[in-house]
Amino acid sequence: MANTIQPPLPDGKWKPRIVAFFCNWCTYTAADLAGVSRMKHAANVRIIRLMCSGRVDPQFIIAALTKGADAVLIGGCHPNDCHYSEGNYKCLRRNQMLKRMLADMGIEPERVRLEWISAAEGEKVKRVINELVETISRLGPLGIPQKFEEWDREMSELTRQMSKQQEAVDGGETPVAVKTEVIHV
Amino acid sequence: MKPIVPKKHEPIRIGFYICHCGTNIAGMVDVEAVAKYIGTLPNVAVSRHYKYMCSDPGQELIQQDIRETHLNRIVVAACSPQLHEHTFRMATAAGGLNPYHFQMVNVREHDSWVHTDRVEATRKAMALARAAVMRVPHHKPLEVKKVAINPNVLIVGGGIGGIHAALTLANAGKMVYLVEKEPTIGGHMAKFDKTFPTLDCAMCVLSPKMAAVGSHPNIHLWTYSEVAKVDGYVGNFKVSVRRKERYILEDLCTGCQECVNACVFKEPKFQDEFNLGLGKRKPIYLPFPQAIPPVTLIDPEVCLNFKRGRNPDGSHTVSDKCKKTCVEACGDRKAIDFKQQEEIKEITVGTIIMATGFQIFDAKRTPYYGYGIYPNVYNALEIERLINASGPTEGELVMRNGQSPKKVAIVHCVGSRDENTNRWCSRVCCLYSLKLAHLIKEHTEAEVYNFYIDMRTPGKSMEEFYNRVAEEGMHLIRGRVADVYPDPNDGTTGRLVVQAEDTLTNKILKIPVDMVVLSVGLEPHPEAENLRRMFNLSCSSEGWFLERHPKLAPVNTFTDGIFLAGCCQGPKDIPDTVAQAGAAAAEALALIDKGHIEQEPNTAYILAEECSGCKSCIPLCPYTAIAFDETKKKAIINEALCKGCGTCVASCPSGSIVQNLFEDAEIFSEIDGVLAD
Amino acid sequence: MIAPFEPAVVDKATTLETLLETPAGKRMMTCIQCGTCAGTCPYGEHMDFSPRLVINMLRGGFIDEVIKSDSLLRCVSCYACMAKCPRGIRLTDVLLPMVKEQVLVTQSAMPAEFQKSLENMHRYGNPMGESPRKRAAWTATAGTKIPLIAEVNREVDVLWFVDSYMSFYARGQDNGRATARLFNALGVDFAILGNEEKSAGECGQVTWESGLFESLAEYNVKLFNKYKFQRLVTGDAHAYNAFHFRYPMYGLTQPAEHTAQFFARHLDQLKPRLTRPLNLTVTYHDACCLGRAVGSYDEPRALLQAIPGVKLVEMVHNRVNSLCCGGGGGGMWLDTYYKQKGMERLSERRVKEAIATGADVLAVSCPYEISRFEDALKVIPHDKPIVVRDVAELLADSLAS
Repeated sequence: MANTIQPPLPDGKWKPRIVAFFCNWCTYTAADLAGVSRMKHAANVRIIRLMCSGRVDPQFIIAALTKGADAVLIGGCHPNDCHYSEGNYKCLRRNQMLKRMLADMGIEPERVRLEWISAAEGEKVKRVINELVETISRLGPLGIPQKFEEWDREMSELTRQMSKQQEAVDGGETPVAVKTEVIHV
Repeated sequence: MKPIVPKKHEPIRIGFYICHCGTNIAGMVDVEAVAKYIGTLPNVAVSRHYKYMCSDPGQELIQQDIRETHLNRIVVAACSPQLHEHTFRMATAAGGLNPYHFQMVNVREHDSWVHTDRVEATRKAMALARAAVMRVPHHKPLEVKKVAINPNVLIVGGGIGGIHAALTLANAGKMVYLVEKEPTIGGHMAKFDKTFPTLDCAMCVLSPKMAAVGSHPNIHLWTYSEVAKVDGYVGNFKVSVRRKERYILEDLCTGCQECVNACVFKEPKFQDEFNLGLGKRKPIYLPFPQAIPPVTLIDPEVCLNFKRGRNPDGSHTVSDKCKKTCVEACGDRKAIDFKQQEEIKEITVGTIIMATGFQIFDAKRTPYYGYGIYPNVYNALEIERLINASGPTEGELVMRNGQSPKKVAIVHCVGSRDENTNRWCSRVCCLYSLKLAHLIKEHTEAEVYNFYIDMRTPGKSMEEFYNRVAEEGMHLIRGRVADVYPDPNDGTTGRLVVQAEDTLTNKILKIPVDMVVLSVGLEPHPEAENLRRMFNLSCSSEGWFLERHPKLAPVNTFTDGIFLAGCCQGPKDIPDTVAQAGAAAAEALALIDKGHIEQEPNTAYILAEECSGCKSCIPLCPYTAIAFDETKKKAIINEALCKGCGTCVASCPSGSIVQNLFEDAEIFSEIDGVLAD
Repeated sequence: MIAPFEPAVVDKATTLETLLETPAGKRMMTCIQCGTCAGTCPYGEHMDFSPRLVINMLRGGFIDEVIKSDSLLRCVSCYACMAKCPRGIRLTDVLLPMVKEQVLVTQSAMPAEFQKSLENMHRYGNPMGESPRKRAAWTATAGTKIPLIAEVNREVDVLWFVDSYMSFYARGQDNGRATARLFNALGVDFAILGNEEKSAGECGQVTWESGLFESLAEYNVKLFNKYKFQRLVTGDAHAYNAFHFRYPMYGLTQPAEHTAQFFARHLDQLKPRLTRPLNLTVTYHDACCLGRAVGSYDEPRALLQAIPGVKLVEMVHNRVNSLCCGGGGGGMWLDTYYKQKGMERLSERRVKEAIATGADVLAVSCPYEISRFEDALKVIPHDKPIVVRDVAELLADSLAS
């Protein structure tokens, strides 16, 4: 379905796209407070509301990055202030594990940021968003969907060559060594 | 409650509405373009923009579309869901759909109000709306969860705010537990002499209310007590209260004070907390004559019976080295119990009102005003006690040297409006300074100089009061005091020089005075941070308890069932505190009288056929809502205990836990949606 | 309590025209005109334009009227207004020096004594007009070894910046000799610049002439880069102020310390060596550049209390509320001008408070104060004798000989 939707305002220039997962009680409310206080900040972040940062499944983060996000921001209550006692702590543990994994995959650790922002810290929402947008602007696009396309092309090329080879074998001809290319991921 | 399985193959028909909110949204977001764009997306049957979606015609528009074009999903892009999610769910329900077939998009607080580029803001609105449109087909019909509410109320803090809230609720027939840390209720108001702008006596209006609290059958008054622990949720809070030992049995004490008269200390000798150390009390004492409850207490730090029986580790044992004249005086009443221990009371309440008040600014933090250095520098609360007829000088305004001041300077904004101490305006100081100016002049005929930055007298009858005091011949000088020091020409009398610029005449004034009164500001209570954690509240950056919405929910907190009254939420005067206490009581009553609480049906449940029985979810739940069925080897969630955080859902390795309203499919579509441009 | 100030808040290119656009200028827009600055200013009553009014004139577009007046010649850069400002406005180190510099440009004639000092500083690298070749001559009288950094030919731990008053002025040299003894007693690896050194430029921009300051700062920083050292230590509170706040903008990378801070940091090692009891009642005068500017109130007091037999008493105005000696912001060379204008010398106001404490010693930590207070004591009558000593001098007196 995603592919059927065309971008409504193509302006050509790349700008960081960031998906944020904010807990309902602290950080989402802080973002509301930033709004009520008219604290202007960068428009690159799309906020998704969850009840608790403990609900943030690492798969959400991976999904966001593979669907074209350049970074993910997670916001939860400060330690000891979680509305559900310790969901934020669970989130922190998962986040640390995920970060190690992402680093192994060649994704810069700055692209996943976890912040504790209380309901009173509208100012911090503004600061964190602006900082993150600046960091990601510096790092450049992550571009996983594009890389997927590239890999798909390479794979189909390989498959084509393989089947061609197979045909040759089936046809009784002398097998030809397939010219393999080193694929840099 | 099991979610109803939606009819298969029913085509999804979404109605999308974006609100202009006057120009609040439309001024920064091209709402027409958003509506047009969303109209092109799959499943969208209707896409509109409208001036005020939350208005009656706006809601009617949704209902009409549901009826006429057979919509089965609704998306509204407007303000924060914290504000109007409920409104639009109700409109969706009124149109004949399940209220949870609705999704809200925040394009005001998170978009139009915080961005400056119209193209960017519009693009963001489209992305957020698209995410909701992609999410909403996955919504399942759900039912509101109803939980019974315990009708008892806990009120923390027995100042005028707590007192008023307690009486309102008790008069409405509810059982109230009023917990106060000090030995008596009354709070700061009990220390004041007169109140502005009416100049009526504070105690005259307060003491009948205090007495009513003391005798009310529906109020459990627990003074000298502190909340130790809070568990549970709205409707069903479990609270532990620590009742400290006062060594007097409350039920047996009649308040006759014969024990005080009989104490071996013939004269009061120890610093009297109620009079801020300006007066003296005995080891056994009543804080002040109208104290409620009228029950004395013993200070073990100075009582001979304890002092002589002190153990090396600091604990007390009863000694035989004291004559125990107090016990003798009490006689048959047997109200004195040297062996009394602190006691923990466990109570269950449905709602809580926080009325924990404030503390005054410690003027030592502004060292150049000489508080704590020069004996003739006082803070305003000390002056309240000195001019109070029941105060340590019986209402005669005399200084520590026994003399009556002839010239008095009142310094406004001490610990207010100052980056070096507290940045906020404490709101009441200008008015209480004018009141003190009037009272000081009335008591002593002294010349009074008020040094102010700006004279702030908003509110009913306040400007008139300012006018009245000005007419009495006060010196009102516009300039913040920069220095207070002993008069170099007069070394012995303790006279002080107050130095400031009169900013309206550009003159530097050095006025010799006998007494300096510092109009100290209001600060969050020193216990506020502990209480905030214990009650799971939020605080503003200054440390005041945070209200749910600054305008529309000023007594609510982000924790359902906990309400705020008085200065714990921010500086305010007595009428505003009482009004807020009434409002908090009404909010509590509204919950109680409904009889039950409606909870978001965002609980989690287990897909038994998928569960592998690995038990990894069980220790994660902070509410022990997950149990393990040993016969079926499957986890089960107790819905009544589940609070809907979703932590277990995120951790289930087989993906067999589902959270209503936040299902994986819903969130993944939302992620797809925000990124699909 | 009042927090010490952060260094460097406006860049060098900022002018009065662009000031209100900077973060420091935006703070000025929040001024509530409370008059604390004017009320606490030691010369507030002699100013046609109090700091409060200067802000409002700037905001209202009338700053030209302020510049035409000589009102701001009376500012002694004592940081009192800035320390108490409820809006945290940078008066002493940002707004007032910028206005003062324009006053100098606009005034047809500068007070002669002041003019001469600036000229001397420019020509000889010291305000007295002494020969730069005699700058290190005092070291011959020190009675202890004072190495020259050019001669030691290796990295030293401490580069001791002596500065002009301690090099040329007799009572300043007492402080220099004391400091050298203390360094040696502690076994500090130190050296001085000798004749190569030029005045640090007082507090920098705070002394009106940013061009002159810039040339001195650039000269000294170039000199610092020639040698290797870990930290810069000076007994001159004004030089310390310049090193702490201004020199980093000109390329100073090493940390700077005042001797009081340095010795306080090494108090554990120093204390066992302070064996000779002095049996004196001492009152301490907080130097503006060490006290209000950076919040070093406790260090000099800790040193004094470490001396056996010293009883410390406080004057009425102390710490953040201390009274200026009147020597800062060029005030050192404006006494004649102040007298002409009928203004009381601030040093006289200060010694009255010192006399009132009944102390035997008025202890100081800035070389300006020695001469200013000793002069003031000559004219203010007092029954009990009182002497002015630098903290370093008292410490050295207490060293076992």
